[in-house]
Amino acid sequence: MKQYIGKRVGYCLLSLFLLSVTIFFFVRVTGDPATLLVEPGASQADMDAIRHQFGLDRPLWTQYGIFIASLAHGDLGQSFYYRTPVLELYLSRLPNSLYLAAVAMFLSLLIGIPTGVLASVRVGRFWDNAGKMFTLLGLSLPSFWVGLVLILVFSVYLGWLPSSGAGTPLHLIMPAFALGWYFAAAHMRLTRSSMLEVLGSEYVKLARLKGLPQSLVIAKHAFKNALIPVLTLAGINLVIMVNVAIVVEVVFAWPGIGRLLYEGISFRDFPVVQGVVLMGGAMLVIVNLVVDILYAVIDPRIRLGS
Amino acid sequence: MGLLVGRRGVRNTGSNEPHLSRRDVLALTAVGLVAGAPRIAFAAESGSQLTWAVHVSLAPTWFDPADTQGIITPFMVLYALHDAMVKPMPGKSQAPCLAESWSATADGLTYEFVLRDGVKFHNNEPVTAEDVKFSFERYRGAAHELMKAQVAAIEIPDAQHVRFKLKKPWPDFLTFYSSASGAGWIVPKKYVEQVGDEGFKKAPIGAGPYKFVSFSPGVELVLEAFEGYWRKTPSVKRLVMKVIPDEATRLAALKRGEVDIAYSIRSELAEELQRTPGLTLKPVVLQAPNWLYFPEQWDPKSPWHDVRVRQAANLAIDRDGMSKALFLGYCKITNSIVPYTFDFYWQPPPAAYDPAKAKKLLADAGYAKGFDAGLLYCDSSYSNMGEISLDNLQQVGIRARLEPIERAGFYGSYGGKQYTRGIIQAGSGAFGDAATRLASFVVKGGAFVYGSYPDIDELFPKQADELDHEKRAAILDKMQQLVYEKAIYAPIWQLGFLNGVGPRVGESAFGLIPGFAYTAPFEDITLKTG
Repeated sequence: MKQYIGKRVGYCLLSLFLLSVTIFFFVRVTGDPATLLVEPGASQADMDAIRHQFGLDRPLWTQYGIFIASLAHGDLGQSFYYRTPVLELYLSRLPNSLYLAAVAMFLSLLIGIPTGVLASVRVGRFWDNAGKMFTLLGLSLPSFWVGLVLILVFSVYLGWLPSSGAGTPLHLIMPAFALGWYFAAAHMRLTRSSMLEVLGSEYVKLARLKGLPQSLVIAKHAFKNALIPVLTLAGINLVIMVNVAIVVEVVFAWPGIGRLLYEGISFRDFPVVQGVVLMGGAMLVIVNLVVDILYAVIDPRIRLGS
Repeated sequence: MGLLVGRRGVRNTGSNEPHLSRRDVLALTAVGLVAGAPRIAFAAESGSQLTWAVHVSLAPTWFDPADTQGIITPFMVLYALHDAMVKPMPGKSQAPCLAESWSATADGLTYEFVLRDGVKFHNNEPVTAEDVKFSFERYRGAAHELMKAQVAAIEIPDAQHVRFKLKKPWPDFLTFYSSASGAGWIVPKKYVEQVGDEGFKKAPIGAGPYKFVSFSPGVELVLEAFEGYWRKTPSVKRLVMKVIPDEATRLAALKRGEVDIAYSIRSELAEELQRTPGLTLKPVVLQAPNWLYFPEQWDPKSPWHDVRVRQAANLAIDRDGMSKALFLGYCKITNSIVPYTFDFYWQPPPAAYDPAKAKKLLADAGYAKGFDAGLLYCDSSYSNMGEISLDNLQQVGIRARLEPIERAGFYGSYGGKQYTRGIIQAGSGAFGDAATRLASFVVKGGAFVYGSYPDIDELFPKQADELDHEKRAAILDKMQQLVYEKAIYAPIWQLGFLNGVGPRVGESAFGLIPGFAYTAPFEDITLKTG
């Protein structure tokens, strides 16, 4: 087991290293941030001064070395635009993102799982078709459009909810719904397919042959097992919701990490983009590591196979 | 609601009475509960507070004049938090502020400023000559190398007087000190030394009309009126600047009364704003002209080498039509690449839209059937302008294809002299005066100059050495006249920046300072009474 965990941790560190290299060099392909920090027509001396100030006039490998050395000390660097430590910015936005993601996840599961179950037990009938339509809409309607329609209806016309910002639970309703809507469709689809798979399995057939009521077969025998892949996906989706809810956070002016990433990309704020991507990557890696370890604990064949 | 009931509730029961199922009753009850819920009041807090919806992310660097780069956005905050010795104010491009007066010696080597008596920082410490010297020396933003290279020494004869000694006469000293940099914006020396640069950004203290209360980077800034401000006590007690990046959301927030002032509402949304009762559209003309530039004009083999072709391009552009289509007609058509608010601005003859005359000029130049002009390069955020320019040029026979490029890439290549063929659509909001604008865009060696004319180049050093204001103005007028006559550019307009103002605002202060994009001076902003 120790060897298995050691290997997994090694893979995680390798993944993070590769991610750091990729994001560091890819973000620099986008161009020179100095041009976005001055007005067009600014002198060459001003541009050079900005590049020097941010260390962008040094060779790329030197910049990367400094970045990694700082990272080893828990320092994600300083934002070019905000001139504030990236970690400080990230942590200041994290609670808002966690709050939004938690509520959006709750909504997505609340909508996605029951509709998925309903669709799976009513295959080819109204609820299944309605579920398919819901999935189609959820996955294809752009979040910004959903967000703007929500603002228009619930904020401008009805006047029930604030259009943007954060601070009260009311501020959370529309962004959480807009974010959760897409994921609800994804969860619904996975629940449906997972349930169909389980409902066709031998032990469910046996349960039915034993004369158990349909509700008990679905709730006790099928649903529990069908839920495992859904919850695994939900865990990964939660990390995505926390770190890259860019469109929803921009439309609703929600002060979260997605908006921070948007600002970082807009201003070519390399340290911010690097920091947010790495933190998101680290979260995903940790979630996957925990899941791998839990699987190995539950099913010894996994660790033995490895 | 009635439609919903009709659709779901009516059953064919053989009677004319609608039949409601148990499910319908439950659904209607839920809808009724929600619809009947008391309307939640989100209107901006009553009392003496105004809330802004800001279109860009607020950064702590904007709290420190020392970090002011050559962009206008930090001044959105600087005008509230800080004050300058001399700065643009309503009716004056160089108005005395913390400096009560100033004078320059006849040889142009010394500028002496007299500090206003009794002015204080927000911590009630007096503004002194030491602070003025400290602020200048601490300045590290745009043009700091240029300024420091020109200034030999700063003397402090007493606490109320500051004397700048220049190494050689520099007629643009006051332009740079008052508006083209942050060097003349004063910070408290003692406090900055005590808290350090980072501490200052976290809790800035200035001498402006509003005091810092709180800030969340990129999210919200809260300011409170400074009772001791020398010019007047601000009548609005509290200002909140909220960052709302999405334009439609800013308009929604303004409509809902969640904010009182919204920056940057464009095109269809601006029309919607205009139609909304209680809201007012406030256009501001920026000191940011846009233009077409013909980099091939120095190549004798190119059609653009003929001045008639360049004049034809100028006549082909329907500036009014473009402004109406894109900015509801609020752009200012000046026919110059120099902002009309700049010192030494020369007003060229009005721009004309005359496609027939343009075609004749092209025919006279030997291009009766027009010609293929290649690519029209532009910053992709202004590609809508590029499309109209392209269409206008096409109407007279100048055929080109649009090449929108992401902003940084575009300006990098433009400045890197990579667009040697075709047409360039660009603009600049850089600070300065007519001389600095010509230096960057017209005179040999300029950052965005693809070629130059000797008669204009010869005049440039003459104006730089001329200390007599009138004589210098005459030289700069002549240079701008030559730019116009040679049709080096086809100037389009000075951009109209459209904003929205809510019903609670009395004086919004938009447009009080010519060419300034935002609301200022803040102490002039009022709420409606009654």
